[in-house]
Amino acid sequence: MNYWEIFKKGIFEMNPIFRLALSLCPALAVTSNVFNALGMGFVVMFVITANNIVVSLVRDYVNPKVRVPVFITIIATIVTLTQLILEGYFPEVNKELGLYLELVVVFAIILARAEVFAMKNTVVPSFFDGLGMGVGFAVAMVFIGAVRELLGPGTFLGYQVLPASYDGPLIMILAPGAFLVIGLMIGMFNVIGEHQAKQAELKRRAATAAGLVVQRSEA
Amino acid sequence: MAHGHDDKNNSVIRIAMNLALTCFISGVIIAGTFAITEPAAEAQRIKAKNDAMRELVKDADSFKAIDGKDGWYAGIKGGKAIAYVVPAQGKGYAGVIQMLAAVAPDGKILDYKVLKHAETPGLGDKMTEPKFRNQFAGKTAKDMEVVKVPTDKNIQALTGATITSRAVTNGVREAAEAVAAYSAGQKK
Repeated sequence: MNYWEIFKKGIFEMNPIFRLALSLCPALAVTSNVFNALGMGFVVMFVITANNIVVSLVRDYVNPKVRVPVFITIIATIVTLTQLILEGYFPEVNKELGLYLELVVVFAIILARAEVFAMKNTVVPSFFDGLGMGVGFAVAMVFIGAVRELLGPGTFLGYQVLPASYDGPLIMILAPGAFLVIGLMIGMFNVIGEHQAKQAELKRRAATAAGLVVQRSEA
Repeated sequence: MAHGHDDKNNSVIRIAMNLALTCFISGVIIAGTFAITEPAAEAQRIKAKNDAMRELVKDADSFKAIDGKDGWYAGIKGGKAIAYVVPAQGKGYAGVIQMLAAVAPDGKILDYKVLKHAETPGLGDKMTEPKFRNQFAGKTAKDMEVVKVPTDKNIQALTGATITSRAVTNGVREAAEAVAAYSAGQKK
């Protein structure tokens, strides 16, 4: 598998939220507007990539029996460092995301990638795996955030998009609205995924059929 | 993983040492970073607080900490205290809402600023918007009651965020009462 394939699979095929259905909690909690969703997406992208790098570097020294606590410690360290740096030098960003930063430690997707990928691979593939998964997560968060912000308050990134008289359903900015949006989107992604699988199957059949024809003509 | 799974490597002591070493390294890294970033973070906190006070009491020339009252500041103009900036808090829908309230010496509210909260985005967090905030200006403690139908004397609750509205109002009212009591004591 080349690096592009490793990177790409996190965005669609194995999208953390829409295909793997991991880390749904932040997908519910932080997507009531696009700005928060985007901020959270970036933080997770950074943490998951950094964690994959660290885990792939130290994997030979980690005793397999305590790998999960060790991974959690590494993730917690990265998150704490991020928090300290944001607090000191980017107070505006820290103000918006401060609440959710600590939650990043327990995101299932980060631990899952450490366990499934970084523990078994070298630094470079782990970097691309983390980046791909992070981008996939961020894209999914922004998707959900955009739908909720548009339908709820009728804005996008804080700018009024729909006419000011639009009085959106309150449910969209509350947790149940997030459930609805995520559910429908997972459904949509499954339909697209099935369609793609079908196309690939048809192509494969066509190829073998063509192969048979060639063989026959040769015979 | 490259190292074997033999019994020697999996003794309790080795496992414990592995984890302890991880925690130790992590602790060292965090402590080192903290030592570097803390001065910057402290400067940011002081700046944020000064900015917040200046925003609340625009006319003041300087701010002076009040002895014996933790976190209280007096906004001074021409040698006279024109306003007090005091910490206020209320129990919101999702935890404590921390605010700074600016109160005139006669107990009338000037404005308030929310420092920290965890209210629902899109509902409760509208408490920071001028539409809700401006209702407080010029009111004293007795005029602050949360209602759903607006009058001049009261505070109209935010739609879908009655608990938040009450929390903010209670916090600000307590601050107003405290300042009124304090400045009454000063005059004696």
